[in-house]
Amino acid sequence: MALEQYHGDMKMCCRCSACKFIPMQRVKGADYSYVCPSISRYKFHSYSGGGRVNIGAAMLEKGFNYTDKLLHIVYNCQMCGACDISCKYAMDMEVLLPINEFRIKCVEDGHTHPALDKVINSLRKQGTMVPGARGKRAAWAEGLGLKDATKEKVEVYYHVGCLASYDKDMQKLAKATVKILKKAGVNFGIGYENETCCGGRAFQMGYKEDFLNQARKNMEMLKKAGVKTLVTGCADGYQAFKVLYDKYNLKGDLEVLHITELMARLIKEGKLKLNKKVNLNVTYHDPCYLGRLGEPWIHWEGKKVPGDRFVFDPPKTYRRGTHGVYEPPRDVLKSIPGVKLAEMTRIKEYSWCCGAGGGVNESNPEFAEWTAQKRIEEAVSTGAEAIVSACPWCEKTFNEAIKESESSLKVHDIVELVEKAI
Amino acid sequence: MALSKEVYKEFEDVVGEENICDDPAIMPSYYSTEFAAVILPKDTAEVQAIVKLCNKHKLQFRPICTGWTGVFPKGIILLDLRRMNHIIEINEKNMYAVVEPYVISAELQAELMKRGLNFCIKGAGTNCSALLRGHGHMDQTTSGDDRNHLAIEWVTPEGDIVKSGSLGSSDEWYCGDGPGPSIRSILTSAVPPGVTPGVFTKAAMKLYHWPGPARFPIVGKSPKYTLSEIPPNMMARYFSFPSVEKMWQAELKIGESEIAYELMGFNAAMVACNITTCNEEEEEVFGRISKEVQGPGFFIIIAGNSPEDFEFKKKVLQKIISDADGRSLKSVENPETEGILLCQCIRISASIRETFRAGGAFNSIPVMGQRDLTIKWAIGAGKAKEPLIKKGFIVDDGGAFFGWGVEQGHLGKTEIFCKFDPLNAEAKAAVEGWQKEQSKRALKERYFANTLASDDEVEHEIGPSLSNYHLWWRKLRAAIDPNGVTPGGGALV
Repeated sequence: MALEQYHGDMKMCCRCSACKFIPMQRVKGADYSYVCPSISRYKFHSYSGGGRVNIGAAMLEKGFNYTDKLLHIVYNCQMCGACDISCKYAMDMEVLLPINEFRIKCVEDGHTHPALDKVINSLRKQGTMVPGARGKRAAWAEGLGLKDATKEKVEVYYHVGCLASYDKDMQKLAKATVKILKKAGVNFGIGYENETCCGGRAFQMGYKEDFLNQARKNMEMLKKAGVKTLVTGCADGYQAFKVLYDKYNLKGDLEVLHITELMARLIKEGKLKLNKKVNLNVTYHDPCYLGRLGEPWIHWEGKKVPGDRFVFDPPKTYRRGTHGVYEPPRDVLKSIPGVKLAEMTRIKEYSWCCGAGGGVNESNPEFAEWTAQKRIEEAVSTGAEAIVSACPWCEKTFNEAIKESESSLKVHDIVELVEKAI
Repeated sequence: MALSKEVYKEFEDVVGEENICDDPAIMPSYYSTEFAAVILPKDTAEVQAIVKLCNKHKLQFRPICTGWTGVFPKGIILLDLRRMNHIIEINEKNMYAVVEPYVISAELQAELMKRGLNFCIKGAGTNCSALLRGHGHMDQTTSGDDRNHLAIEWVTPEGDIVKSGSLGSSDEWYCGDGPGPSIRSILTSAVPPGVTPGVFTKAAMKLYHWPGPARFPIVGKSPKYTLSEIPPNMMARYFSFPSVEKMWQAELKIGESEIAYELMGFNAAMVACNITTCNEEEEEVFGRISKEVQGPGFFIIIAGNSPEDFEFKKKVLQKIISDADGRSLKSVENPETEGILLCQCIRISASIRETFRAGGAFNSIPVMGQRDLTIKWAIGAGKAKEPLIKKGFIVDDGGAFFGWGVEQGHLGKTEIFCKFDPLNAEAKAAVEGWQKEQSKRALKERYFANTLASDDEVEHEIGPSLSNYHLWWRKLRAAIDPNGVTPGGGALV
């Protein structure tokens, strides 16, 4: 859907400012009440979800005036969707979708961000969102004797993702995942050099066509290999395969699982036994694209029913973050002997972003780090020794923020803790 | 009207480059007005410096908090108080909290509940400024309006800092009237156009005892939060009555017996809004509840300080309801629904569901006054909504009004609104027509004077019927704002 199709939604905004905060009933005090990093950092109302949709509606009506300030507003948003969820506690309207469409329009009109162009060039040339990536995508897997899912039939296809493939500090996550899957006796394989970027981050950045190219390539490869179930440890990848591919009718019958869902299932079935003690007080960070934005796509087409109410024929079911992946990672953590979980104030559907989303880690690293820093402070306030996430992008951003702040908080991906426990 | 580079620089020197903007791209995010600039001051000193510059250059300005409502002439300076968001002090002993304008009610209330305290959250919702004055769901306990403002720090339209009440003499915030200058009539003037010009930079809000939990035991995911259990000694119910008269009598007795923590005269449509998560569900639930109720009604929360106190209050309530032939709405007795309403109506977190969700806009006639009189007027205003409902211009809420008794209930708030699609010009015009007609009727039939009426009506009808208050107010404004830098109208939400 193009921006024009959300005109009615954008006009519904009553400027109540709910989009700046976590849902009101969840506000526990003066600390950690804000949910949107962009308005928290840049403060003008324009940087809030409500501000953005009001700008969108006005520009549809009066024409697009691309000023430097407008582009600063557009590209300093992690597309984390927190505004969308807080708004939809009370309202029936879309917030994140028009914000995303606005960004797509900026790209289509040629108003891109140079740092994001660089990332996209890397995607077009090398099939990865990690600029400067060198060598083979599956170099990390050398000597591990993993099956090539494009050559032999496997039950589960493991999509490793760009960061865990190319980033030397994150390859440990791919190796840990492999160890876990082997231990649980899962018949799995990887795509080796046939794997390519999911395209999800490109979509968040506004490069819709590049996303679609990646999606088509991936699905062609998966169909050819006869893959029925895909698992990934990357939240962006999960959301791309499960939600975005479905949105554009490319997913077919592919079952998409995040590694936390698969591990929770294997633990429940007794196939994955966590016996070793990992003495650690942790807090869990819900990645935006696994949590609130990881809930299934709902196909809907309809028209507003003429009259007093903002209702549609057929009725529209909104995605409000209710059905994201929240419990499986927590179930896994609770299954690890010795791990004690303390929750932060902002969790699940109203979790605070790590800062990396929407290309912000590339377009404005200072803002990404600022956002991560706020989360680190919140994690420390729980008394936890470590913050655990379920996405390599989160781990990378937190580590960079901690390096700057000299905090003693440790950062782990959930697969690292499970690896220690098996 | 764009600022010259030199003038812009003067403002920029006060707040820093990051906190001033005149780029046209940001303007639609505020209002459909082109401001000369939007400025984000961080404290009273910066507000004062900005105001003095406005006087120097004869530039008009207006402040906003979260910015829900307001009237903004083109070309003025907008002070977005977003950075002034600190709770300065919570004084448990003397029961007041000092806040800056962008502290929202949800933040302050959450801090207070941990300390066994609460305050008056205005009906506009917990997403609005805690500093806002007005009425809300908990008026039976917390009262409303200017009773809750204690000492105030005010930057006048000329840029002077005035400290009212005890703050003016002793740096203490406990009283708005003294020892020290009391200028209550100016600082908390009741109605537009008497909205105080200048900027409130800090205010002390009166606090009240909170007998409930430090935090509600909320479970579930948005948009459906429920309570894992009803907190001890708390109960929420909705009662309907065979007539308005009986409802009013019960409301009065409840006020006099001081048993209610909250009495909110929701109509059935508002109950439906609160407990549902989308428009379609709301329509269905409203249809069902409308058949369950026997007539007008109210929502009530009982909160005991002890099991004995709770039992006593429930018995009194039972007697009052029975005497008035009231009937409890079974849907609300369901613990899940009771929990939703209990939490939502203490935390005032569903006002948007009640007002904006259905159509995107609502126009309202709110009135504070003698409750039985305003109810009688509201019945007529409700009947006048029926043709608009039939034409499909406004959302069908049964033509109902709502309201509640304040303190002991003789005075109260009554309000009636129409929810509509703002993109439907015909509907918008019909609603504005209804508003005008009902305001005129209120005055003609001597119920009350709607001071939220248009400037023209205030000038020619409302003002003259109220001792020409508008002329006095103008004189007052001229005295405190000799350079005319504060445009009238609007509210500080």
